[in-house]
Amino acid sequence: MKYRFQVIPELCTGCRTCELACAFKYAKDGIPGTSRIYPLAYAKDQYVPVVCFQCDDAACVKACMFDALRRNDETGAVELDKERCVKCEACVAACPFGCALTDTGQNEIVKCDLCQGDPVCARFCPEAALKYVEIED
Amino acid sequence: MVKLQINGKTVEAREGEMLLAVIQRMGIDVPTQCHHEAIEPTGNCRLCMVEITKKNWDGWKKSVTSCLYPVEEGLIVETHNDKLFEIRKTILDLQLARSPHSDYVTKMAAEYGLEKSSYPAEPQGDDCIMCYACTRICDVLGKSAIAPTMRGHEKIIAGPFGEAPPDCIGCLSCAHICPTDHIKWNDKGNTRKIWDKKFKLIKCKKCGKKTITREFADYLIEKRELPSEYFDTCDVCKRKETAEKMGELVIKAREATI
Repeated sequence: MKYRFQVIPELCTGCRTCELACAFKYAKDGIPGTSRIYPLAYAKDQYVPVVCFQCDDAACVKACMFDALRRNDETGAVELDKERCVKCEACVAACPFGCALTDTGQNEIVKCDLCQGDPVCARFCPEAALKYVEIED
Repeated sequence: MVKLQINGKTVEAREGEMLLAVIQRMGIDVPTQCHHEAIEPTGNCRLCMVEITKKNWDGWKKSVTSCLYPVEEGLIVETHNDKLFEIRKTILDLQLARSPHSDYVTKMAAEYGLEKSSYPAEPQGDDCIMCYACTRICDVLGKSAIAPTMRGHEKIIAGPFGEAPPDCIGCLSCAHICPTDHIKWNDKGNTRKIWDKKFKLIKCKKCGKKTITREFADYLIEKRELPSEYFDTCDVCKRKETAEKMGELVIKAREATI
């Protein structure tokens, strides 16, 4: 079965729960702002969650010269193999959406991997603006 | 699948897999220095030595570098014993003589009870332990800008003729992979300096934040056929752009429903 992560921006209220959930799961000391999802304002009090789109033809995968970024066909996510990553930041520079990130605090490259098939942000989103749904092949 | 025995436990491994991969998967801590998943194993540091034997070897044993040894059916592997401890200790003893000021080597040697090398320390000793991780990662990148030059104790890693490597693109992969942090670099203003070569850093069009070098970006654009505009702005500004574009879609969607 295949899954797809869905972002429905018009449902986002900008409560930033997704950011907190992600930060608590991954960032050092749970500090928001170092999470992998960014609820950003495009107008006054109007927010959209900016998060990795797991592009089919991903620029980060293409930019990685060391094959550290690969698609997980089970979850649909582009995952970063930290053992292969040399932190050259090619993916960070190449992603047109700015969704491959450098975590300077922990000195590593991070990107959304859909929590290995159970995205915590989608679980906590009170407005269901983030969804992880089954799709037909 | 291949069946073998490691430290008394029977495990299964894929054909062609190296011993070290199986050992690490079992959670056994075998020391390594030159090993990295992104590069081909070459067995330079020799710390991952293990002892192998087989039932029909009449008790004969062989010491091999596990990073380079492919799994075999019926192999009996030992990862820690007195002999292997001595081998690893000798290697670190020699490294300690070569790189007495390296924190990395000192820490590792201390685990083997070595405070000072038993060999005369190299007075001009640097932190390079000749693991070649830097040259191998540069090979994977497709540049091979740096290589070992000179022979014997004079051997160093450098560009051709000991000069600034013309093929270097300043990606810093070598500096990041170096286990002893021997490869020095710095970013000052718009300039990055590594291997005595200067590079221009890309300045984000919107906020001025520095990203990767122009040469590295050009290499990626050419080699991986990426649009050059992807590299014009930094990740923070690109996220903002993404939010703005998504915002436009939201506004359009709202207008359509009214």
